[in-house]
Order: sequence, then structure tokens, then C-alpha cells
Amino acid sequence: MDDSKTLNLNVRKDFPILSKKILEKKDLIYFDTAASAQKPNTVIDETNDFYKNHYSNVSRGVHTLSVESTFRYEDARKKVQKFLNARSENEIIFTKSATEGINLVAQTFYEKFMQKGDEVILSLIEHHSNLIPWFFLRDKYGVVLKFANIQPSGEIDIDHFNSLFTNKTKIVSLTHLSNVFGTELNEKAISICKDKNVPILLDGCQSAAHLKIDVQKLGCDFFVFSGHKTYGPAGIGVLYGTENLLSEMPPYQGGGGMIGDVSLEGASYAELPAKYEAGTPPLVEAHGLGIAIDYMNKIGLDNIIEHENEITKYAFNKLNEIDFIEIHGGDNKRNSIISFNIKNVHSHEVSSFLDVEGIAIRAGHHCCQPLMKHLGVNSTARLSFGVYNSLEEVDKFVIALHKCKEFFNK
Amino acid sequence: MNNLINDLYQEIILDHGREPRNFGECEPHNKSADGHNPLCGDNLKLTFLLNDQNIIEDIKFTGEGCAISLASASLMTEKLKGKKIEVAQEIFKDFTNLVSGSDEDLKVLNEEDSLYALKGVGRFPMRVKCATMAWHAFNQALKD
Repeated sequence: MDDSKTLNLNVRKDFPILSKKILEKKDLIYFDTAASAQKPNTVIDETNDFYKNHYSNVSRGVHTLSVESTFRYEDARKKVQKFLNARSENEIIFTKSATEGINLVAQTFYEKFMQKGDEVILSLIEHHSNLIPWFFLRDKYGVVLKFANIQPSGEIDIDHFNSLFTNKTKIVSLTHLSNVFGTELNEKAISICKDKNVPILLDGCQSAAHLKIDVQKLGCDFFVFSGHKTYGPAGIGVLYGTENLLSEMPPYQGGGGMIGDVSLEGASYAELPAKYEAGTPPLVEAHGLGIAIDYMNKIGLDNIIEHENEITKYAFNKLNEIDFIEIHGGDNKRNSIISFNIKNVHSHEVSSFLDVEGIAIRAGHHCCQPLMKHLGVNSTARLSFGVYNSLEEVDKFVIALHKCKEFFNK
Repeated sequence: MNNLINDLYQEIILDHGREPRNFGECEPHNKSADGHNPLCGDNLKLTFLLNDQNIIEDIKFTGEGCAISLASASLMTEKLKGKKIEVAQEIFKDFTNLVSGSDEDLKVLNEEDSLYALKGVGRFPMRVKCATMAWHAFNQALKD
């Protein structure tokens, strides 16, 4: 408890937004990191500095600024490669978002490896961004989608998942950490894919800043995450893919930067990773992501995870004691995320009430409408934690929840 | 308790949110529309009967949502029942101005109106959609 408080005191000042006063001059308690994380000074200052002192386009010129920009952009790729423990920088593709990464894989993997009637396995807990790109394949090309059930704990039902495979299953795409339950994907799901020799994409939006990621150890074929959920800027995402698959799949978009040689008769394409990076990339944002990774490394990802686990467990136990709170999912381990409802109070009311108390939480369907339907609710409230949160904030939150319940059930 | 929350959740809103009036489906009806807030999943179905003098004879709604969206729908049905369509459209315009914090002068609504209780929503921009969902459904039904 003392350790986490020390850690917390040291990092809060790194995030200028945390000194903002909300509405009626309340201190900000930010419990919505799963939607987007706040940014440390280093990320804000370094992106500013890029524009002020180094900015030009990347990989296109020979002048000094072009060199400085390209260096920063490619340096960010190296940082991401180390962050994910990918084998090579060629396996790191910068996108504008994790969503774009999933769309890229769905479209180009289909083009190379699939045809009508082939099957994709997803699950009931996926975020819309890991559903709709695959719906496109179903609607446009007649691909068959299968959905793994979940257990009451919020985890994927592994037996059911296993039963969905046929000789037409071509790819699996699952969330690595549920944005509703905060539960981590059972490693068995990945080993089943390995046994059956079916590539698996992991949606790492929620895991990248809250679990230690090693794509080689995980054994996934693709991994996507977004910069803005990992303390970096919005507008930058990462797609990791094995060099084998990325080499075989065709380019996603055509444009500048992704070509080898162009004549009016046709074009050859650039080598990895440029092959998938058509157009001027979000270069400053990529640099900002690199700085965010430096920031996490400086504090130590192990420390961050330990700190968040402690807060999550503390908040879970506090919420679990309250009879008017319904927590979604089981009492298994959660990473930085808890979804709940106050009985008979809509999550919007909870969120607006807490907002006035200075507490930011998410209310809604969390881009998981199929899951909400399964849970029999139309929305939930969600707490999610980051490096800057503290146990003391959880205590204040619990007091506010009691006030909220009292107000709406008076 | 602080003022912002009391302004947003006046007693009449909590009351209508808990026990919405005119909840159900209008039978017979000749106008209907679905309201949906894709950002949060709240939804409603509005049905009403417009007679040959263009008067809303009866109007009802069903659906699920937060207190603001339910209360707004409930208060809307109370307000619009018996009104000529032209008047109802004026009320629609006034109401959307009222809850979006617009300073535009109100033509038919005033502080005495129960709908005025929703003015507090203007301070919570993300909740404006909750308050206007039923109203947009009403407007849509007129166009269909």
C-alpha cells in the first residue's frame, strides 16, 4: 500500500491535466483510462518540440529536417519493436489506429488466403472494432463468422471455442484483455490456434499498457494496439504481424511511400514495413508514442502493473461489499477494468452525478453491444485505472457512489 | 448536494424517469418512428395518432433509457397530446434550443412549462442527445 502511494505521488505531477478543476471546482479523478489515457508532460513537450524544431515529411527528402523527422519516426518503430519484443522492425506497421490495423488484416488476409465460405472465429466479448471489419468480409465475400461463447466470469468458454474450428477456419481474432470485464484471454485459446495451425490476431488495445507484452512468447500472429490508450497521442496505432504473413499479404492502401517503382503500366511495392504505410504517416504521433513507451519504461512496466493490480483489487473488494452494486463478470482477476451498475440507476445518471464530483468514468455500451445484449443490460458504468490513480481516489469514488445511490433512490 | 446535479435532476425529471407517462403503444396510430442513441444504446419507439384536423389525438412511447431520456419522452407526450401539428413543431424547435443551451428566444415555451425542467441538460453537452432522442423521433415520424 505504501509502495503504490509512493509511486502514485511521484507520477501524478507528470500529468498536467490532473490539476484541472472540474465543473464546480472539484479535483479531477480520472477513471476512464480504458477509453483513452492521459498524457505525461514528456509526450506533450516532445510532440511540441517535433513541430517546433524538427518537422518535415519522412523518408522523402534529403535535407536536414527530413533526416531529423525520419530518424524520429524510425526510432519510434524501434521502441515499439522492443516494447512488443517483435523479432524485427519489419514486423511493426504504423497505422492511424488499432481499428485500422484490424481492417488492414481483415482485408489483406482475406485477399491472399481466403474465399467464400471460409470461416473466421471471434467471440461475444469483442469490441465493435474487432467485429465490424469481419462483418464486412461476411457481407461482401460470404465469409462465415463464428462466435465463441463466454462464461459467467467473462472469460471465453474454451471448450466452445475449440468446438468452432473446422477445416475452413482461416483466422481467429480475439481481444487480449476485455474492455468490459478487464479479464485476460486464456492462453489456451492461443495454443489451440497454434495446434490447429490457424493464425490468431490479438486486439491489444486494453492490454498494451496494462500487461507485459511479448508477442513471441504469446505466439500470436498479429497484435494491434493504439497510441492513445498507452499514454501516447491519438491518431497513431500499431499493427504487429509476423514477417511471413505480412510479406505474403498484399498492400492495404495504395499511395506514396509504399512503392518500389512506378510506371504508367504498373508498380512494384516497397519492402516491409513501408509496404503497408501508404501516404504521409502520423509521424509526430508515432514519435509521441515512442516517448510514451520511454515514459512507461522509466517507471517500469512491472511497477505500473503491480500498482494497477493493487488498485483494481482494492476497488473490486470495495464495490463487492456494497449491496446496491452489481459487478459484471466473476471474481476472477481483472486488469485495471471493472464494469458495474447501481441497481435501478442508469449508468448515465451515475456518470453525470460523478462528473459533478470531479470523477470521470465511462457509461454506455463500451462499443460492445452484442455483449450488453448477452448481459441483459443496455449499458454499464465502467471504472478503469492508469498509472496515475490511487487508493485514496477509490475511497472518494465509493463515497460519491453512496451519495449517488441516495440521490436517485430518494 | 450541489446545484448542478439538482438543476439537472429536478424532482419532476426523477419522477417522470421513474414512472414515465403515456408509456406503451398507441392503438390505433398512423405515425411512428424509432429513436436511437448509438453512442449509448438507449432506444425508444414513438407512436401517435394524427387526426384529419392535424391534431395529435394520442401519443405514446416505449423503450429503455436513462432518466433524462425517459423523462423527456414522457414530458413530450404530455405536452404534445391535443396540439396541432404546427404548434408541436414550434415546441420542438423551442425545446431543442432550450436543452442545447442556445440563447435563441423561446417562442412558445416559458418557465412555467414542465419541459423547462430539462434546461439543466444544457450544462452537460453529452446528455443533450438523451434529452432530444424522443423529440427527434417525433420529428422523423412527421417526415416519414
